Amino acid sequence: MMKFATLLLLGLAAATAQAQGLTDADEIAERANAAAYYSGADGRSEVRMIISDAQGRQQRRQFTVLRRDVDELGDQQFLVVFSQPSDVRGTVFLVDKHVDRDDDRWLYLPGLDLVKRISAGDKRTSFVGSHYFYEDVSGRPHTDDSHELVETTDEYYVIRHQPLDPSSVEFASYVTWIDRATFLPMKIEYTNSAGQMYRSVEVFEVEDIDGIPTVTTSRVSDILTGGQTDMQFRFIRYDVGLPDDVFTERSLRAPPRDWLARPSD
Amino acid sequence: MRNAIIHVATEKPRLVYAVVLILALITGALMLRIQIDTDPENMLAADQPDRVFHNEVEQRFSYSDAIVVGLVNESHPNGIYNVASLTALHSLSLSILELDGVVAPDLASLARVDNIEQAGPGTIRFEWLMRDAPVTESQSLEIRDKVNRLPLLRDSLVSGDGQAAMIYVPIVSKDLSYRLSVEIQALINELDTDDAYHITGLPVAEDTFGHDMFVQMGISAPLAGLMIFLLMLYFFRSAPLVVAPMLVAMATVIISMGLLIGFGFTVHIMSSMIPIFLMPIAVVDSVHIMSEFADNYRRGSDAKAVISRVVEHLFTPMLFTSLTSAVGFLSLLLTPIPPVQIFGAFVAFGILLAFILTILLIPAYVVRLSPAALDKLAAHTRTPHTETLLARLLRRTGRFAMRRGKLITGAAVLVIAVSVAGISRIEINDNPVRWFKTSHPIRVADSVLNEHFAGTYDAFMVLSVDPSAHVEGLIADARDLLENIEEPYAGDIRALLDAEAVDVSAWFGDIVMAVDDAMFETSDDASLAALESLMFLAEDAQSASKYFQNPEALEYIARMQSVLDESDAIGKSNSVADVVRVVNRELRGGDDSEYRIPGTVPAVAQTLLQYQSSHRPHDLWHIVTPDFTSTVVWLQLKSGDNQDMSQAMTFVDEYIADNPLPAGVEMHWAGKTFINVVWQDVMVTGMLKSLVGAFGVVFLMMAMLFRSVRLGLFAMIPLSVTILGVYGIIGWIGKDYDMPIAVLSSLTLGLSVDFAIHFIERTRALLRSSGSFETASAHMFEEPARAIARNAIVIAIGFTPLFFAPLVPYITVGAFMAAIMALSGLTTLVLLPALMSFAGPWLFPEMHKRGAFGDAQPAVA
Repeated sequence: MMKFATLLLLGLAAATAQAQGLTDADEIAERANAAAYYSGADGRSEVRMIISDAQGRQQRRQFTVLRRDVDELGDQQFLVVFSQPSDVRGTVFLVDKHVDRDDDRWLYLPGLDLVKRISAGDKRTSFVGSHYFYEDVSGRPHTDDSHELVETTDEYYVIRHQPLDPSSVEFASYVTWIDRATFLPMKIEYTNSAGQMYRSVEVFEVEDIDGIPTVTTSRVSDILTGGQTDMQFRFIRYDVGLPDDVFTERSLRAPPRDWLARPSD
Repeated sequence: MRNAIIHVATEKPRLVYAVVLILALITGALMLRIQIDTDPENMLAADQPDRVFHNEVEQRFSYSDAIVVGLVNESHPNGIYNVASLTALHSLSLSILELDGVVAPDLASLARVDNIEQAGPGTIRFEWLMRDAPVTESQSLEIRDKVNRLPLLRDSLVSGDGQAAMIYVPIVSKDLSYRLSVEIQALINELDTDDAYHITGLPVAEDTFGHDMFVQMGISAPLAGLMIFLLMLYFFRSAPLVVAPMLVAMATVIISMGLLIGFGFTVHIMSSMIPIFLMPIAVVDSVHIMSEFADNYRRGSDAKAVISRVVEHLFTPMLFTSLTSAVGFLSLLLTPIPPVQIFGAFVAFGILLAFILTILLIPAYVVRLSPAALDKLAAHTRTPHTETLLARLLRRTGRFAMRRGKLITGAAVLVIAVSVAGISRIEINDNPVRWFKTSHPIRVADSVLNEHFAGTYDAFMVLSVDPSAHVEGLIADARDLLENIEEPYAGDIRALLDAEAVDVSAWFGDIVMAVDDAMFETSDDASLAALESLMFLAEDAQSASKYFQNPEALEYIARMQSVLDESDAIGKSNSVADVVRVVNRELRGGDDSEYRIPGTVPAVAQTLLQYQSSHRPHDLWHIVTPDFTSTVVWLQLKSGDNQDMSQAMTFVDEYIADNPLPAGVEMHWAGKTFINVVWQDVMVTGMLKSLVGAFGVVFLMMAMLFRSVRLGLFAMIPLSVTILGVYGIIGWIGKDYDMPIAVLSSLTLGLSVDFAIHFIERTRALLRSSGSFETASAHMFEEPARAIARNAIVIAIGFTPLFFAPLVPYITVGAFMAAIMALSGLTTLVLLPALMSFAGPWLFPEMHKRGAFGDAQPAVA
């Protein structure tokens, strides 16, 4: 009986929160970060990328991302392995993402049979020539920005974020439209110091994967160059039980085949 | 017809005035729609193949027009690599980035480019080369060391001697260049720096040029008008007499320019000269009429009758001089350079308009003058004419020419020989930057920057392959395999294969991805086997289609560059091979020995993938297309002279002849410097065609006018000698044959023949009326010779205000106008009578039969 009452109360509280909405921008930002980058304890996904320039000329890339959370909302590990086009097949990125210090990054180039450590530094550079940044792939810690709830609409929390260290980034601020039900950021617009909205990220499709709302189609647009990159996420699984030895330098030269294979179920 | 016109003009002068006034008002209003065009590209027609290709290349590699900001520090031992200079450069770069209309992602400056370098053993670092301005001098020197390891930056963004740096500011549209250069100058003024800053770049040059053209049209042309007015006032000492020709000139200029603008033509450097060309030409006919009227008018005469007689008398020679001048300019239509064609067409139109206006307006003007004014005009003009210095000089010239006929002819032959030798020395060369005076800020920036850098003039060697063989190959190979693949996969793949491969990279990508998916989904073994084979073939073809990712292709480019960079003709070359070599070096530990192209396609592809993991991934597409079927070798030249560009092209051609391009690779030129060479070649051959064409037509017209082939040939002598003489001078003084020099030939043709027509026509008339060559020739050196000499002087001096024009082409035209007038006046008044003195009987056989030449024997049978 007690249990039932508790459940009921909890349910009511949740429903109320849902209806009235959250008002703490930091909390919303944190929950959005969790929804976008920390679903499950680990996960795998296959990404298809179409990079288009202003003239519509396209390049395609395909890679698999394995992710493992070291701490909830904290450190994470990523392994990114390229499968297409064939001339970059086997290129691997390994990232140890740290919340409180610089990430560790490694790179393997099979064509040159070369493992390189990539010095920490700017994470807001292009990810393999696309309009996504490294930071978009691994997630920008919400603790790097200050957050302000600008507006709450029927569907979204609209949050303006400002960098705590403005010199480390190219934006002056960005605004995120966070879905009130899923906490997934559905649209992000970046503004530069000239007050120009120069970059946007949009989510076009969200699917329920193992009970977790997950982005499956998104696009980043570079307003200034007129280019854009479309990403399609497929074969997504959560809580697959990735062991931590997948995320070691050994995986660079010998990618973990079993874990990279498409799930056939 | 002739009489009808004269009748209208003398009987209905108010109507004539009203019509001309209304026309001038309407066309004058049209002039408000003026659109200046200063783009040198427009020297070629919009559909000219080289221009079309050049524009296609600009699009293919996303090139924008750019303002170039250069800074120079020649006093600091480390050049611009010091805290103050770099701080100023850094802050200016970031400020420019925020200006509206700047293509921010493509702005290139030390503050906005990436560096790739070693960061400890086995570690590589990608970061902004100069994210923040240096604080210490040693940080400044670190930046220098970094730049010196980046061949794409060294001698392109910072000069090799370290004394100069550039900020390359691409702009959305060149219409913005004026506003942006003003804004950039304002930013520079706020900088705390002692460095010399220069703002240049083609859009700025074009803008400034457009502005100076306006100045020229607004000041030089009216000044030329004033000059002509004053000169005529001096000759005729009668304001009313001189006002009439000025009215004709003004109406001609306004109507011609108004129509040009009204028809929607842009005003280019050539067309901006139309007023200056038309003014003296328009004045000339009126001067003939007015001066003959003044000579014939006596107190109390019937002005209407006198002017009608004068116009009747001068109608034919004037018609022919106008027609021949017009033909001279119309011949420019044979030169396939649109601005030159428009110039030719509208000057020709203006000349004919001036003729019509002259025979309408002048009589109308004269009959409207009060008897008092007419008397004054006659009184003023009669006496001084016959005893002026000019009159005496001409008489003496005439006597000298007749006495020393053979000597003069011999001298003329000598002059011609010397001229021909001079012509053989003519250097064909042009460079739009040189249209500015040497003291002009743009010329200064040009010379300072090119002194330090490997060159600020761009030429592009565009290398391309046709990837369709790989596309067709895959389609053919897939046909059999598809039979063994189950549906729906076979159908899906077939649909992709059948799609037109507009974007080859996307086409291959779609097929590979579809096959990949089908391989995963199918449970049929036969299908899987076929799909695997297809995958193998598709990836192979995909990789092969990206030709310029191929090490052999890059090796060829790198080898060629090493030779090009040694050549004096080329300052520096830049290519995708440089990118691959730098990234390869840094990936492999940074040793100079690793500055090379890696040996396999995947190695190159992965190297480029790293290059693209920067702040400026799109930079790669400025030198190679995303499908890797076309790449550009960007050459920096220290000079924009066509000769230097041609020399570079010859060097490259010879290299390619000795080291053939890999099979299937084609090379074509693009870039503004190349386009200038193209239009100049077109102009040189076109001008020759124009000249030959006009020469032929004018000769036919002369033969028709005089009804004598001999006199027709005779009439061609002054213009031939003048053209040879003028170009001989150009050859001997070493002035390059450029666009303004090129159009001088038709100008000469048009003006020199006028003198010959008047001279021969009047001589023949005098021969007929007097029956004696001696009497006729004496008369020739009275009023007819004075009219010719006056015209020559008026035109020559009328052009002198051009000396003060801000742009070199106008100065050139002004200077050579004087030479043309002097030469053609001299040949007409000296050489023609000299020739007549012994060849007269051959030229005028009928007069000879009637004994006009006395006992003299025909010199030529």
